[in-house]
Amino acid sequence: MRSPALAARLAGRNLRRRPGQALLLLLTLTIATGVLGVAMSVYGSADAPWDRTWRATDGFHVSFVVYHPPDEAGDRGLVAELRRRASRLTDAPGVVAAGGPWSHLYGSVRVAGGDEDLTAEVRDPGPYPVDQPLVTDGAWLGDGGGVVLEGGLAATLRAGAGDTVTIQGRPFPVRGVAETVSRGRFPLSRPAQVWVTPETASHLRDLGMREEGFELQLRLADPGAAAEFVAAHEALTAVPSATSVVAFMETWRQRRADSHADIDIVAGTLFAAGALIAILTVATASVLVAGRMAAQVRQVGTLKAVGVTPRQIVLALLVEHLAIAAAATAAGLGIGRLLAPPIAETSVTVLGRPEPPPLAVTRVAVVAAVAAAVVLLGTVRPALRGIRQSTLRSLTAGPRPPRHPGRLAGLAARTGIPLPGVLGLRSAWRRPGRLLTNATGLALGVAMIVVALALRDSLDLLDLRPPEPGHAASDAAVAVLYDQIRTIVLGAAGLLLVLATINAWIVAAFAARDAARNQAVLRAVGATPRQTVTALVVSQLGACAIAVAAGIPLGLGLWSLMEGGDLPEAEVSGRSLVLLAVAVPAVFAAIVSVPARLLARRPLAPTLAYE
Amino acid sequence: MSMVIEARGLVRHYPSDGPPIRAVDGVDLVVEAGEAVSVMGPSGCGKSTLLHLLGGLERPDAGELHLAGARVDGLSETQWARFRRRNVGFVFQAFHLVDELTAVENVELPALLVGGSRRGARRRAMELLERLGVGDRGGQLPDHLSGGERQRVAVARALINEPMVVLADEPTGNLDSRATGDLLRLLGEVRQALLIVTHDARVASTADRLLTMRDGAIVAQTRLGAGTSVAGLLAELADLGGDR
Repeated sequence: MRSPALAARLAGRNLRRRPGQALLLLLTLTIATGVLGVAMSVYGSADAPWDRTWRATDGFHVSFVVYHPPDEAGDRGLVAELRRRASRLTDAPGVVAAGGPWSHLYGSVRVAGGDEDLTAEVRDPGPYPVDQPLVTDGAWLGDGGGVVLEGGLAATLRAGAGDTVTIQGRPFPVRGVAETVSRGRFPLSRPAQVWVTPETASHLRDLGMREEGFELQLRLADPGAAAEFVAAHEALTAVPSATSVVAFMETWRQRRADSHADIDIVAGTLFAAGALIAILTVATASVLVAGRMAAQVRQVGTLKAVGVTPRQIVLALLVEHLAIAAAATAAGLGIGRLLAPPIAETSVTVLGRPEPPPLAVTRVAVVAAVAAAVVLLGTVRPALRGIRQSTLRSLTAGPRPPRHPGRLAGLAARTGIPLPGVLGLRSAWRRPGRLLTNATGLALGVAMIVVALALRDSLDLLDLRPPEPGHAASDAAVAVLYDQIRTIVLGAAGLLLVLATINAWIVAAFAARDAARNQAVLRAVGATPRQTVTALVVSQLGACAIAVAAGIPLGLGLWSLMEGGDLPEAEVSGRSLVLLAVAVPAVFAAIVSVPARLLARRPLAPTLAYE
Repeated sequence: MSMVIEARGLVRHYPSDGPPIRAVDGVDLVVEAGEAVSVMGPSGCGKSTLLHLLGGLERPDAGELHLAGARVDGLSETQWARFRRRNVGFVFQAFHLVDELTAVENVELPALLVGGSRRGARRRAMELLERLGVGDRGGQLPDHLSGGERQRVAVARALINEPMVVLADEPTGNLDSRATGDLLRLLGEVRQALLIVTHDARVASTADRLLTMRDGAIVAQTRLGAGTSVAGLLAELADLGGDR
């Protein structure tokens, strides 16, 4: 029989014979692919609604923005020069339409009892060949004054046409509400924005609003050439280094990428969590395969004895696990499609309803590649080690005996540690690969808990911080975003711990199987079941000790990388770390004691009679 | 002489697809202190199961078992473990040494389990290993010992707490003829009550008494004397339909 056909048959038989292990691997792998699938579907889910609004409003391809701090006099001559330069752009080759330049006034609007920074964009009633804001309520600018609110501001104020807003301390009637892509949505994007006619702007200037710059918007014959257009004309934005005037040009793609930072941050956090979970899943797959190989070593010997080649044996394992990886990819992408919309809908920046991007081949390939990499990394090494064993050794089965007596246990015996502890330490290093794999998984879980604790403390400090004048609503929106991130980090920590627990359980179960003969011998010479359980638990606690010792500094290191920006500095309290250092081994011991207890209940005679 | 083992109507049946397998079927047995008893019989006749029942590795379905004057058939696992560590020594065909422990650590293990001092346990373990001719192998892991050396370590482990009874299950089954001869000499020096399950007539002939089992029951008892020959034993077994 040809190798692939035989491998497929062996793989199919293994899947049928051990559905529990296959399901466990599928579950852990699906957790990783699921989180990545959600991240993939959340990332970019604001693009389609943005594109729709962009098309509906004849949105710009290139924007020329000039800004100067309203509190400073600015360089009026320079601003006038920049306005002239901008005007020259309207006749540049490739430009098919221009809007503006629209003047911007700086002031304040009353939101939830506080004053928020406000930009009033001054426009004639239109219509405009570029960026005609899409009216979602009421009417656009016209005779009779009043203001048109940007959609995010209207949603924050819960205001619509016919209501009034307080600008510069005076009530102004709301003519309508409109959406545009030229500004991000308030409150995550600030300042808030309203549109006003020149007459209203004059009134606002009388109330103290000051010039803060302008924006010119251009449409090109070829939207795809926007970046080249900007590069070709960037010299027009040059300003002397000493001035506080800022001038820049931006493409529509850049504005779209900046328009939904909250979704990108959430997706980025999910990607990071998915990557960590995938790493841990490598450990799970590796432990499962290694355990399976140990269990099947006699079968491998039989297969080799009847002429099946090592290549066919590895191929069978790979086929089996790649089939599981394929199932996990499909499940993960499906979960992503299901969960992404409710997560993305919490965004305050999306123009309309978020839509997960279509399942492009590249996205499917990325998730499939992660799943395949996990099983390949987990399968190849233990499989190769299994088949490298001599056929005779495979047929005689049993775990490999140690080569040297454990020095640590010898030391422990001299220091008076109770006998079960010494016996546990004797076998602790018997499977160093498994111990380190287990420790890696647990360490990642512990590190994520430390990060989550630090994030919690930092966000608590953020809550206590008094709101900054001028952008309290934005700060509140940022706090909501951080809260989402905290939830994701906590969720990821939880998932990592679930996986680490599954790992610990699998390792303990395999360790119990490996230790069955020794445990039976111990009982035959007079060790009580409790003593044998203690010995087995102690033998597994080494991984946990390494995990706690490495995971806490790792978590603190990760947190120090995450700190900065808007997050207040926070240190995880020593008490929390001590609690973690005690709780993790306690929970771990409780988990691994279960297979140890089950082993202690097994009758002795069959184990001792075997061989 | 006092009775060390007293079994009355000991029964152990295993479930099967058909009628239950009667591994031990109403065995009555008495072993005196210091007496050596060998048990022979065909494969599957229940010899090992009887030994496991006597050492508490298995529980009887019915019957009474007294060891060293105490009734033990109703003991819990933990009670059995505590009883076994003081009163019963085991020697197995597959040696069953703990792979992670050195030879001397294997020997001292039962002494540590009864709560002896580490120093005292180590001294006694070394003395026993010296007496059994493997004193220089005490620091080796079992994997580095020959079959004969491993079995000597196992015998030392069985003797360290000076139990009332030593139960040996095919102790020479994995040994070559020279190692078998050495082991038989050692077992001949054991002062405890000794029950040896064996297929080997030469081993059986070293005991004071031979029990022959078939279908879970003791079908013959032979008092062995100085003049008992291996050939005679084999002939007797052949008459009973046993294998050799």
